[in-house]
Amino acid sequence: MLTPSIERLVSELARLPGIGPRSAQRLAFHMMKAPPERARGLAEAMIDMTERLRPCSVCFSFAEAELCPICADPRRDASLLCAVEEPSAILPIERTHEYRGRYHVLGGALSPIDGVDPEDLRIAELVARLDDDGVTELVIATNPTMSGEATALYLADLVRGRVRVTRLASGLPVGADLEHADELTLGRALLGRRDL
Amino acid sequence: MPPAPDWVARRLAVADVRCWDRAELDLPAGLVLIVGPNGAGKTSLVEALVLGCVGVSPRTAREAEIVRRGAEALHVTLDLDGPPGAHRREIGFAPGRGRRLRLDGDPVRTLASWRARAVLVFLPDELRAVKGPPAARRRALDRVLEAAAPGFAEDLSGYQHALAQRNALLRRVRAGLASEASLPAWEAPMAELGARVARARREGVAALAGPFASWLADLGGGRGGALRLETSPQGLPEIAGDALEEALAEMLAERRPREIQAAQTLSGPHRDDLWIGAGDADLRREGSQGEQRTAALALLLAARDHLRARAARPILLLDDVLSELDPVRRRLLLEAVRDGGQTLVTSADPGAADALAAPPDAVVRVEDGRLHA
Repeated sequence: MLTPSIERLVSELARLPGIGPRSAQRLAFHMMKAPPERARGLAEAMIDMTERLRPCSVCFSFAEAELCPICADPRRDASLLCAVEEPSAILPIERTHEYRGRYHVLGGALSPIDGVDPEDLRIAELVARLDDDGVTELVIATNPTMSGEATALYLADLVRGRVRVTRLASGLPVGADLEHADELTLGRALLGRRDL
Repeated sequence: MPPAPDWVARRLAVADVRCWDRAELDLPAGLVLIVGPNGAGKTSLVEALVLGCVGVSPRTAREAEIVRRGAEALHVTLDLDGPPGAHRREIGFAPGRGRRLRLDGDPVRTLASWRARAVLVFLPDELRAVKGPPAARRRALDRVLEAAAPGFAEDLSGYQHALAQRNALLRRVRAGLASEASLPAWEAPMAELGARVARARREGVAALAGPFASWLADLGGGRGGALRLETSPQGLPEIAGDALEEALAEMLAERRPREIQAAQTLSGPHRDDLWIGAGDADLRREGSQGEQRTAALALLLAARDHLRARAARPILLLDDVLSELDPVRRRLLLEAVRDGGQTLVTSADPGAADALAAPPDAVVRVEDGRLHA
């Protein structure tokens, strides 16, 4: 059987997303055979990250200083603001290299069933930024779920008339076949069609 | 487009379903009569066939009770022909471990991507579709629309989700936990999806009404059979299809104060009902047991015609309906379903098909947990 220290590591690893008991065991056995510096390096990296990280004071994404790298970058276009549910949504948008504005992390989406009301999201902070930063366009990039759409609608109604409000389009994956698109996505793509 | 091929169950293999240890059954298209004494397991075969198509039982929501006592898991294999071609569908269920689905041997994760809306079922309690509460009639109608129109199921579940969120918010507002400022954000999807649901139901009922009247007459239920959608709110039928969304949105906005007091959404497509009648008589409330049964069967046959025209002709499963019908209606029903589609009829009466002009395409005898083809 496993010793108490292995068992402790396995049960900690198994709490990570995507890691089941078997994978946890495999990782633990891997660490067992690796040189001790590897384990220390991994542990230190994890502690270092969790101790250094804090929310950016402007956009509430993750930062290691007062400001996150994006808010601290003077080359970013301050007139363009993109609202997302979680910091994890920023990375895929950044990878597109299509967006040069800044972000605002709402910290979730409306869901009265789960007790999440507008006051529980960083919406007041968002509205304050619109004036302070001279924002002209708010891009709402909440998830295309019922909750994400309701949050988008609430935000849009709240700031309408003050700035231009846009929503990420829903549509077809690039390079895919129409034949294999699901009806919902294809229907949205039709509704969102544009002139050529 | 050429008509879609009918749904036809070719082969059903069950293991550890209710009283069945193991059973295998080859099925022809056309009329199949399953006869055997009460408690022999006829209904369980029907249930297994439904499980193999849609993944849930028509008899119970507690799947654990379908597993044969003493067995660990049930397993159903169904070879099904239909519009997507011929496929082998498998479903396993073990209490505590959940459902396992396979299509042609490959695991499928979600029920939604596995389900084949290939069956129309009449169990003895299908009478609920006529005399039950509005929710039962709505459910029966929606099942047909789900099979007939792609997207209806998504629209309906989206509407119900938005409704649940709005109701939760109404409760929170009444309790002083939240402001009403975000109510419109839930009313917009309710109006959009609700309008689509209302439109689909309206069109569906209009399409079902004619076939319902003629089936009701054919089955001896008399002339003047009629179906009408009783919409919620009541004025909705006069509103043109493209103005429905706006009308629903306005209604929701207008009723906010009252609905905050009630802490729920008082009207909308979630309160629709189906009026089922003959002449002026409301069969839902005034019909005799026999009239209601005839109406339920006529509704089912109308649904079959509708699906045949809109999607593909479904398999009809009629469990234990013959015993309640007099010999004339019994023959009328059996002749009515002999139109080339696949129909499975269970009966405790070994002579159930004697009056037919031509014998059924297959007779399966069920006795002591064994099958005799």
